[in-house]
Amino acid sequence: MVVEIAGLKLKNPVMTASGTFGCGEEYAGYVDLNRLGGIVVKGLSLKPRLGNPPPRIMETAGGMLNAVGLQNIGVDAFIEEKLPFLRTYDVAVIANIYGESCAEYAQVARKLSAAPGVHALEVNVSCPNVKKGGLSFGADPKAAAEVTKRVKAETHLPVIVKLTPNVTDITVIARAVEEAGADAVSLINTLTGMSIDLKTRTPHLKNITGGLSGPAIKPVALRMVWQAAQKVTIPVIGMGGIMTAEDALEFMVAGAKAVQVGTANFINPLATSEIVQGMRQYVKHHKLKNITEIVGTLKV
Amino acid sequence: MAIMNKQITIGSVSGNDEIRPGYVLMTIHVHRSFPEPRPGQFVMIRIAGLQEPFLSRPLSIFSFSRGRSHGLVKLLYRVAGKGTQILAGLIRGSQVEIVGPLGKGYTVDPSRENRVLIAGGIGVAPLSLLAQHLCRLSGRGANPAVVYLGAKTADELVGLDQLHKYCNSIRVCTDDGSLGEKSLVTRTFQKDMKKHDPARTSIYACGPKPMLQSLAGILKDRYFCQVSLEERMACGVGACMGCAVAVRDENGDKTYRRVCADGPVFDLQKVIWE
Repeated sequence: MVVEIAGLKLKNPVMTASGTFGCGEEYAGYVDLNRLGGIVVKGLSLKPRLGNPPPRIMETAGGMLNAVGLQNIGVDAFIEEKLPFLRTYDVAVIANIYGESCAEYAQVARKLSAAPGVHALEVNVSCPNVKKGGLSFGADPKAAAEVTKRVKAETHLPVIVKLTPNVTDITVIARAVEEAGADAVSLINTLTGMSIDLKTRTPHLKNITGGLSGPAIKPVALRMVWQAAQKVTIPVIGMGGIMTAEDALEFMVAGAKAVQVGTANFINPLATSEIVQGMRQYVKHHKLKNITEIVGTLKV
Repeated sequence: MAIMNKQITIGSVSGNDEIRPGYVLMTIHVHRSFPEPRPGQFVMIRIAGLQEPFLSRPLSIFSFSRGRSHGLVKLLYRVAGKGTQILAGLIRGSQVEIVGPLGKGYTVDPSRENRVLIAGGIGVAPLSLLAQHLCRLSGRGANPAVVYLGAKTADELVGLDQLHKYCNSIRVCTDDGSLGEKSLVTRTFQKDMKKHDPARTSIYACGPKPMLQSLAGILKDRYFCQVSLEERMACGVGACMGCAVAVRDENGDKTYRRVCADGPVFDLQKVIWE
């Protein structure tokens, strides 16, 4: 079940998606974190962020909208308060980073690269719920490439760039960050959406719009992973609505070398470990040497 | 490393009765090992195996007991939307998945022996478990708490029977006067306030936001008061940051806390009403 992403060895291809698993602690009572491929922590910024006013979430058909707005304790507090706990586990820790400017992305990257216990960086250029940074970098190939270059210059760690689906052609952005030196891409972040309360004619979210996640977005995510995997040579990490091992395996067939599980954690705290278990059974049943044998094997 | 002592409980619905129009009491058989809930705690509940509604629903624990063979969790809830509507349709024998008990409950300070419970509408649910707990603490003969119970109408006044088991001092009021005094529960309490010495009183409240906000105005910072808050939740365990509530931190600055993991019980005076 071992996979390697740009020199980063994962015990298995299942990681937690940023923003859905806190910094591991919240789920450590339910799931043996040592059994996971990797933990991608909540997006970290240079300074603590308050986040958006509530209501921040709303259930929709087959999924949910969120507009949390990257509430986080800031990179320094993460290193001091959260990282020591994660270091007690034998699991790959991937720090998701966010900045309002290229310089901020670079500063956060530098701090985390010097912190023991961080094994890779995931650069969030795709958050739809913040005013500055985030999506404004991810929707423009030049800006996305610039952020990637700046982060790469600050770190020896593998750099994963997390892409937004809220673009006309995701492969353009994927190629731009590959050329800029990204070691892998992860996709997709949430799809921008909204939900309306007809009784009051007001949006359900205070932020008006939010990011859609959950099984509702899986077909879109699969399509984009499949498209991106054909256009880049660096590893693609797939995510978007994965609830079961079957879902995860479909992403791998579409071309993902590894996957991330997000919203599923909310409704089943054991989702990640059940998916790992299901993948193991698939490997056994199909007599594979390694799960990676199925990567990109879509027959068309 | 953390101790892996938390799990998802599969429960079997043994009752799900509409006790008043739009108010449902669900009784769930759980394994004997179900952790003892603290008053104010809640569970995340969903229908086993079903993807609609997609998210679990956070519901306060109304009552809990443990028998020889199983535990009995009771949830009193108001049908407020699609999720609770589907829950209300569950029949006897339905399987539900429960995560919990979750969150921080009410804190009981033994030195403040005059306890006041103020409940508005469905806010009675967590306070009933607290009344049960206080009753156990104070022993026979003693009155565990003075209760102020209010609702819009007599039809919407729930939980009175249960409270009567534990407390004999209950002031009932309704907005339209169809039961008890015609008054807002906060106003009824306010008229009585002199009887409650701030130094030896703990106030515990749960109800709609306007009620709690008005209570904050009445009490100012003279009383120790804890309130249980409600917010839409996705995970219930502190990971998604979806159930934010604005509060003042140690320095008096505004910050967002998670209703699920930092609450659902908060000090009333720390809450910022936006």
